Amino acid sequence: MNAALQTFFETLINGLAVGSLYALVALGYTMVYGILKFINFAHSDIVVLGAWIAFVLARSLGYATPDAAAPWYAGLLILLVAMTACGAIGYAVERLAYKPLRGAPRLNVLITAIGVSLFLQNTGQLSFLFGASPQRMPSLLPDTPLLTVFGARVSLVDVVGAGTAVLLMVGLEYLIFHTKLGRAMRAVSYNTSVASLMGVNVNAVISFTFVVGSALAAAAGFLYSMKYVGIKQPADAGWVMLGLKAFVAAVVGGIGNIRGAMIGGVMIGLLEFFGAAYVSTQYRDVYVFALLILVLLFRPAGLFGRATVEKV
Amino acid sequence: MTPPDAPLLEVASISISFGGLRAVREFSLALGRGSLSGLIGPNGAGKTTVFNLLTGVYQPDAGTIRLAGRSLPGLRPHEIAHAGLARTFQNIRLFPDLSVLDNVRIACHLRARHTLAGALLRSPLHLLEERGMLRRARELLGIFGLDDRRDEYARNLPYGDQRRLEIARAMATEPKVILLDEPAAGMNPQETRELAGLVRRIRTDFSLTVLLIEHDMGFVMDLCESITVLDYGQVIAHGPPAAIQRDPKVIEAYLGAPAAVEGGVPA
Amino acid sequence: MTRVAPQLDDGPAAWRFVPRNLAPLGAALGLALLMHFVFQPAAGSFASKLALDIAVNIILAVSLTMVNGFTGQFSMGTAGFMAVGGYAAAAVTYYGSFRLYGSPNPPAGILSAFGDPTGLPLPWLQSGDLMFVAACLFGGLVAAGAGYIVGLPSLRLRGDYLAIVTLGFGEIVRVVLQTSERRLSNAEQIAGTPWPKLLTHLGGSLGFTSIPYFTTLFWVWLAAVLTLVVAYRMKRSSYGRAFLSIREDEVAAEAMGVCTTKFKVRAFVISSFFAGVAGALIAHQVQSINAGELGFQRSFDVIIMVVLGGMGSISGAVLAAGVLTVLPELLRFMADYRMVVYALALIVMMIVRPQGLFGVREVWEVGPFRRRAAGSGAPGGGAT
Repeated sequence: MNAALQTFFETLINGLAVGSLYALVALGYTMVYGILKFINFAHSDIVVLGAWIAFVLARSLGYATPDAAAPWYAGLLILLVAMTACGAIGYAVERLAYKPLRGAPRLNVLITAIGVSLFLQNTGQLSFLFGASPQRMPSLLPDTPLLTVFGARVSLVDVVGAGTAVLLMVGLEYLIFHTKLGRAMRAVSYNTSVASLMGVNVNAVISFTFVVGSALAAAAGFLYSMKYVGIKQPADAGWVMLGLKAFVAAVVGGIGNIRGAMIGGVMIGLLEFFGAAYVSTQYRDVYVFALLILVLLFRPAGLFGRATVEKV
Repeated sequence: MTPPDAPLLEVASISISFGGLRAVREFSLALGRGSLSGLIGPNGAGKTTVFNLLTGVYQPDAGTIRLAGRSLPGLRPHEIAHAGLARTFQNIRLFPDLSVLDNVRIACHLRARHTLAGALLRSPLHLLEERGMLRRARELLGIFGLDDRRDEYARNLPYGDQRRLEIARAMATEPKVILLDEPAAGMNPQETRELAGLVRRIRTDFSLTVLLIEHDMGFVMDLCESITVLDYGQVIAHGPPAAIQRDPKVIEAYLGAPAAVEGGVPA
Repeated sequence: MTRVAPQLDDGPAAWRFVPRNLAPLGAALGLALLMHFVFQPAAGSFASKLALDIAVNIILAVSLTMVNGFTGQFSMGTAGFMAVGGYAAAAVTYYGSFRLYGSPNPPAGILSAFGDPTGLPLPWLQSGDLMFVAACLFGGLVAAGAGYIVGLPSLRLRGDYLAIVTLGFGEIVRVVLQTSERRLSNAEQIAGTPWPKLLTHLGGSLGFTSIPYFTTLFWVWLAAVLTLVVAYRMKRSSYGRAFLSIREDEVAAEAMGVCTTKFKVRAFVISSFFAGVAGALIAHQVQSINAGELGFQRSFDVIIMVVLGGMGSISGAVLAAGVLTVLPELLRFMADYRMVVYALALIVMMIVRPQGLFGVREVWEVGPFRRRAAGSGAPGGGAT
C-alpha cells in the first residue's frame, strides 16, 4: 500500500517538475506560432544553448568542481544571465533569418528554421565555444530532500525548478494580459495587418516575442540541466525530446494559446511519467505522440484552441 | 424519374446558421432546363453562401436540393461536380502556378475513365483520353478567347481573362448547371458586354442552365430571364427583371428605406 | 513549356503499349549496368559510395516531391517510412536467408557484388538476388501501408498540423522499432519460429545488424531511374494534374471534381512506397539499420532537397539531391565549420531564392518560360 502511494507521488512530483519545464518551452513555440504562424524548429536549440551558457557561466565562476559550494544567489544570477543571453540570440535570429522572409510561403520559413537549428547546433559544437563533448552541469543546489510525501522525496531541485517555471509563467501571463505590450502582442497574433493599421509596431512586437520566448527557453534549459545533470550536444536524444515534447504540448494545448501551452506542458509531463510508471517505460515517448495524434484528429485546433473556418 | 418539364435544379427552403447568425433562411429556387437566372442582393445578403450550399462546401441545416432528381445535400463538393453542378468563385480561385491549359484540363479529369496504373503505364485508353482532354480544353479556351495564352501561368493573366478562365474551367467539368459568382466583377464595360454574349453562347451551345450572382445590374437585367433577390438570407422577391426593378421591397433593400426611384434598382 | 507533346500518330496504336514501357525499363537497366560495371571500377570506392548515396537521395527526394511538391501536403515522415521499409526488408532477407539457405549469407550474383564486379567469376543473378528484390518490394509495400495510415489524417488536417502528425508518426515508428525484440541469430531457433513472430525480432535499441549485403550501384540506380519514370509519368498525366491542383487550391480542386482526400492518400501511399524501398536499399548496403538514426532530422534532409529543388519540380529534386549529397563532401576541408557553412547557405538560399532552384518547373522549362515575378506578389506562391 505504502509502496504504491510512494510510486504514485514520486510519479506525480516528477511529472509536475518536468511538465512545468515542458510548459516553459512550449510557450516559446506557441507565442511564435500565434504571431508568425510557423513552427520555430530552432526553438529547442535555444533551450540547449541556455543550458550551455549556464554551464559555461557556472564553470567560470568556479562551481564546476565537485566540492565547490555555490551560494544561494549563484543559481539566480546564472539564470538571469542565460535568459538575457538567449533573449539576445533570439532577437538576432529573428532579425537576421526570419524577418527577411515575412510574407514568404510558410514552407520557406520552416526550412529557414531548420537552417537556423542546424546553425545553432553546429556553431555550438565548435571547439572555441562549447565543444562537442558532453559536460556535467554542477549541481548548484544541495541535493537534500525537502520533505517526503508517503515516502516520495520532494527534492529542492524539483521545487526550485517548478517554482521558477511557475513564477516565470505568472510573469508572462501578467505581461500578456495586463500590460499594453501584451495587448499589442495579442492584437498582432489575432490579426497582424489590422494591428499594424491600428498603429501597433508589428516588427517590434515580433522581436519582443522572440526575446521573451528565447529567455523562457533558456530558463527551461538551465532548470532541465539542473534536474538531469549533464549537458550533451543538441543531437542527444534527451534534449531533442525535450524540444519535441514541448512542441507537442503547445499543439495539444492549442497552438497559439498561451494558457493552453502551460496546461499542455504539465499534461504531457504527467502523461509521460504516469505512462512510464504504470504501463511501460519503453513507450514513454509513444504516449506523448499518440496523444498528439488523437488530439489533432478529434480536436484539430488543440484542446483549448479555437477552430478556424476557411472562407470560400 | 423526373418528368421532362420538371425543374433541373430544385432548391426547397434550405437554411444554414453560423453560430447565432442565420446566414440563409428558407431559400427556395427552381431552375428550368436551359434557363438563365440571376441571384442578386446587397452585400452580405448570403448569395455566395447559397452557392456554397448548392456545391457542398457547406451542408444545409434544413431543406432539400435536387439536381435532375438527385438529392445533393450530404455529397462532397467533388461528388456534386460529378453530378453536373459546376461553379466559379467570387474571389477568383484558379490554380495560379499552373498553365492556363492545365487549369482547364484538370477540370476534365473527373470524366476520365482510365486508372492511375493506366496513366503510369501509358495505356491506350489513357492516351486516348488525354488527347480528348487536350482537344476539349483547347476548344473551351478557344470559345473564351484564351487559346493563345494557354501556356501562360494562370496567375499572370489579366483580371478579366482570369474571370473567363474560371468559367472555361467550370465548363470543362461538363456541367448541367453552372453557377457564376460575380463573373463581371472588375471588368470594364466592353468586357462585360462581351461576357454577356459569351454566357448566352455557352448556354445555347452546351444547353446549359445558368445561375449567376452579379452586382452589375445592367448586366443582370439585360442577361437574365428571371431574378431572385436575397436580403438578410431571405428571398424577398422573385420574377422577371422588369418586375424586380419595380419591386418596392427590392428598392428598399438596396437603398435602406422605402423610396420610389425612377428607373428602379441602381446599378 | 507546358507543351502536351502532340502525338504524331493519329490513334493510340495498341501495340505501342509494350515498347512504351520497355523503353524506360531498358534505359534504367542500361544506366544501372553502366554505373555498376563502368563507373564503379573507374571511379573508385569513394566516388562509388557517393554515387550510391546520390541515387538513394534521388529516390527519397523524388518520393517526397510527390507529397510535398505535387499535392502540397507537408509530410515530415520520410525517415519513418524509410525505417519501416528498411526493417521490413531486412527481416525478410535476414531471416529468409536462414530459412531458405540455412545461413546468414544468401547466394548473390555479380550484380549484387561489392568491389570490382568485373573480376568476380559469378553468375549475374542468383536466387538470393531475387529474394532481395522481393524484400525491397515488400519493404516498399509495408511502408505504403504505413503511408495509407498516415495519409488518412490528411483527410482532416491541413498544413502544419498534418506536418506535425507525420512527425509524430515518425517518432512513434522509431520508438516502436527500438523496443522490438532482439535479433535472433541461432539457426535452429529461427527455423522454429513462425514468420509473424520473426518480424517482431528486429534488434531493438541496438538496431537490426548483420543484414546481408546486396545493394550495389546497379540496384540503386535501377530503382532511382524507375522512381523517376513513375514520378514523371505521374506528373505528366491527368492524375498528376489533379495532384497539382490540390497544391494550388484545395477548394477549387474539390469544386472541379477532384476527390482531394483520395488523391492525398494516394500521394502518401505512393510516396511512402518509394521511401520504403530507399530504406530497404540503404539497409542492404550499410548492412544494418537503426531507427534511432532515422529521427526527424533525417526527414529534414530530404525536405531540404525538395524545397531547394523547387516544390514539385522532379528534375529540381534530382539536382538538389545530387548537390546536397556532394556538397558536404566538398566542404569537408572546412572540418568543424562544414555544417555551419551548410546551415548558413540554406538560410541565405531561402532568403535570396525562396522558390528553390527551379521554382515549380522542370529544369528544361526554366529558360524560355521564366516566371514573371513582377506583379505576382510573393514568388513561389503565397499561402493559398
